[in-house]
Amino acid sequence: MSMPAATTDATTGAAAGRPEIVLKSSEFRKGRAEGWLELEQLVTRVERFGIRRLSLDELQRLPILYRAALSSLSVARTIVLDRNLLLYLETLSVRAFLAVYGPRANPITGLRAFFGQELPVAVRSARWHILIAALTLLLGAIVGFMLTVQDETWYNSFVPSGLSGGRGPSSTRADLLDREIFAPWPGLVESFGIFAGVLFNHNTLIGILTFGLGMGIGIPTIMLTVYQGLPIGAFVALHYNRDLTVDFLGWLAIHGVTELGGLILFAAGGLVIAEKMLFPGRYSRLENLAMHGRLAGQMAVGAVIMLFAAAFLEGGCRQLVASTPLRFAIGFGVGALWLAYFSLAGRRARP
Amino acid sequence: MTLAHDRTSDFLEGGRRERRQIVTPEGVPLSIELADYGERLVAFVIDLFIWLILIIVLLVALVSAIGVSGGSLLAVSLGLFVAFMVRNLYFVGFELAWRGATPGKRLVGLRVIDRAGGPLQPSAIVARNLTREIETFLPLGVLLTSGKSATGAVDWSNFGIALWMLLFAALPFINRDRMRGGDLLAGTLVISLPKRVLLADLVERKAQFTFTQAQLRAYGAFELQVLEELLRRQITPDAMRLLAEVCDKICRRIEWTTPIAPADILPFLREFYTAERAFLEHEQLFGKARADKHAGGGT
Repeated sequence: MSMPAATTDATTGAAAGRPEIVLKSSEFRKGRAEGWLELEQLVTRVERFGIRRLSLDELQRLPILYRAALSSLSVARTIVLDRNLLLYLETLSVRAFLAVYGPRANPITGLRAFFGQELPVAVRSARWHILIAALTLLLGAIVGFMLTVQDETWYNSFVPSGLSGGRGPSSTRADLLDREIFAPWPGLVESFGIFAGVLFNHNTLIGILTFGLGMGIGIPTIMLTVYQGLPIGAFVALHYNRDLTVDFLGWLAIHGVTELGGLILFAAGGLVIAEKMLFPGRYSRLENLAMHGRLAGQMAVGAVIMLFAAAFLEGGCRQLVASTPLRFAIGFGVGALWLAYFSLAGRRARP
Repeated sequence: MTLAHDRTSDFLEGGRRERRQIVTPEGVPLSIELADYGERLVAFVIDLFIWLILIIVLLVALVSAIGVSGGSLLAVSLGLFVAFMVRNLYFVGFELAWRGATPGKRLVGLRVIDRAGGPLQPSAIVARNLTREIETFLPLGVLLTSGKSATGAVDWSNFGIALWMLLFAALPFINRDRMRGGDLLAGTLVISLPKRVLLADLVERKAQFTFTQAQLRAYGAFELQVLEELLRRQITPDAMRLLAEVCDKICRRIEWTTPIAPADILPFLREFYTAERAFLEHEQLFGKARADKHAGGGT
């Protein structure tokens, strides 16, 4: 590379009267500043109005100008000492980088990709975690059942007062049948508004808690899942002792299949986080968590949607359908739909 | 790697900024500035304010549309539901549509980016905002309702949740990159992205004063950039006094004996800046970068 030393020689050329000073960095800047300013304009518009407002021509210019700015930055770092220029280029490059590599601006495409592809794929990849979470929940239910069936005072310690809704060891068979299992439908506003809203909030908070507790290497997730199983077992035991098992299971199944599915999905997401923290493999724990945290996050979103559907079924539809076989049919029918969605959707697009 | 101008920035701004590097897919390392705790808090409060208003407006509209009394159980559960949807959709929706910025973040000048420098995925945005529910809203809700415990006994679940909240609130303070739980999970980073404008070049083309190599060797890049900053300031009487002082110091250091008239101070400094920059850039071009005046001498 030839470097005419005379260009920067403001110092030695002193004898030749008044030399015109030409700095390499100034020349460098002069040749490229136009492109930077054009890029800055484009980036500002993208930041303000989104990338869709750019014309086709500008859209093609953006990545070219961005890469030109990056290369300018690389050169500037070695030959330029103008701090303002360096800072400007750094900031411009980061802004252009974000404009070029930002998330897809179209929420519709994003949502379609999420539900058609990412969510089912994430759920499938965590099938073992889901199995463990489901078994844990089952374990809790079995323990709750075994204990309560022998001694109904356990019921009070397993079922929080907010959940029991007036049911308890003192309830008679007729009580449970009329006031709970086949209680009259309270009306549209009441059932959707209150039941669905409160149930959804309650379940989602519990679910998110299980999920987030995955960061505590999974033990709290497992404990909380067992803990959620206990009241279910206790409820079943209460009804078993009053010879209402089948009717109660029908009452539970219509929404429970979806609801417990959502809670299991949350717990499985927590377990995924825990596993990635415990066994980072050849990555650092943080890297590994970042790589798989998204997966867990997608599962959590799926779980929220399931809980939403469950609240709808429980609050709005359960008391409308006053027949146990029909309740089973709806509950497991919806469950089968979930299963089909999670196991089949998004397979084609993935080779 | 700390760059020379980063050091100058630390000096001029009091070392306030934490910097990190990301490497773009093109393989160019970019220096980014981590967002301050204060900035993030302000952004969050602005967002909080906006979505609270949104919730109230929606709720008032809904309640009046259905026609129930404000204090009823229905209104409460409707409120819970609307609040849940709004606050989650708010963050996810804006960060998706505005490439990693909510209105609050935008006002403060913050952005969410991928920690590794890759594209910011929609799933990362979903993951980092869903965890907000556990980190912030759940403890906030507990705080707001915990006063209602009927008996005086210690509520262990509230106690546990308070501990939980402490753990999460402390998370950004105990990791190097100031990530909250959601950032950790999603592999994201919140950065500060100030707007910077390209200012005119300070180089003086016509030389009136000439300097020798030995004189220019007295300083390094650090001093050059501090001088640049001073020269870029607005010319006020105060700034002029400072410049005169600096001029005096420079003259003493480079043994410039000719006295400089007050009117000549600015041209003199600009020319010195130009000559110094020409010299240092030339040296740097051949691998002899001088970081500051203490850098190895006359080789």
